[in-house]
Amino acid sequence: MEVKLPPLGNDIKEASVSFWYKKVGESVAEGEDLVELSTEKASFNLPAPAGGRLTVIKAGEGEKVAVGATLAEIE
Amino acid sequence: MPLSGRRFQPKMEKRPAWLTKRLVFDPAVQETEAVVARHRLHTVCAAAGCPNRSECFARRVATFMILGDVCTRGCAFCGVRRGRPEPPAADEPDRVAAAAAALGLEYVVVTSVTRDDLPDGGAGLFARTVTAIRAARPPVRVEVLTPDFQGDRAALETVLSAGPAVFNHNLETVARLYPRVRPQAGYRRSLEVLRRARRFGSGLVKSGLMLGLGETDAEVESALADLREAGVEIVTLGQYLRPNPGCLPVTRHPRPEEFDAWAETAKRLGFRAAAAGPFVRSSYYAAEVFRSTGT
Repeated sequence: MEVKLPPLGNDIKEASVSFWYKKVGESVAEGEDLVELSTEKASFNLPAPAGGRLTVIKAGEGEKVAVGATLAEIE
Repeated sequence: MPLSGRRFQPKMEKRPAWLTKRLVFDPAVQETEAVVARHRLHTVCAAAGCPNRSECFARRVATFMILGDVCTRGCAFCGVRRGRPEPPAADEPDRVAAAAAALGLEYVVVTSVTRDDLPDGGAGLFARTVTAIRAARPPVRVEVLTPDFQGDRAALETVLSAGPAVFNHNLETVARLYPRVRPQAGYRRSLEVLRRARRFGSGLVKSGLMLGLGETDAEVESALADLREAGVEIVTLGQYLRPNPGCLPVTRHPRPEEFDAWAETAKRLGFRAAAAGPFVRSSYYAAEVFRSTGT
């Protein structure tokens, strides 16, 4: 399952990754904090939308991600 | 460290851990977004990039923003676009009422951009929106969060005559910071709007302040006392968050305990309800705050 950056507001087009709570290969439970994101206005914790094993991280810490883009994959 | 060659800027504090908001993944978030889009409406939640948006949308709660999404003012704290707005849409009140019904809201908060370009400041459309929502069965309560209508008494009374359960107008900040934060508004004028609303006697009167714009504690206490003196019964205090780099910097991040202490202070000053916290916004859990007054 792809974990995508959800909409954060009309004028917010992207967020930057502050840090990942999980490493590739680790398991994560549904609803567990997966990644912290930061925008100009606020910081967010994104919970895992499903449980499983984190297989891919598409954006490393400090990288920017567009709204709707894939952040990670959970299997 | 030498400061030479650098323009003085108020210090921007790093965001502390308690200001990390948990996003909510829930199908209801998309359902709420779809209801808003289907009725061609705006929410201040999305327009202002509110960090609470997913939490509230998951509860099928949204704050409607009428009269367009372009504001005629340029307040230095606000993320809503400034420019020349479109003419008001005559069917917007019915669309808001329909969307509120689709969401199953029993308590609806309606706000707007500031429309200094309209002769009545948009008061007529505000009133019709309140009336349209209140026509629902079973009855629905409405909270309005209005601009100052440039102090126009008739415009204010037009809105109040429609019978909102709560009239809200945010003071936003302390008197000293008005020229910087709300250059086209006035501290005394906003207090007068609130005082007149209270005297009109329709529903409860509510207001709110942001912290983190450079105010001192003494100034906050003084603003709270002014609000009480004007007859305000419900108050909100929240953290100012800069929506974009063009807005004023955040000067401080009071700890959650400090917000708790402000709620206590507000109660001591005689407010019937006080909501204070880093993520408290004017309309955050507005229905619950209203009910806590026991009205």
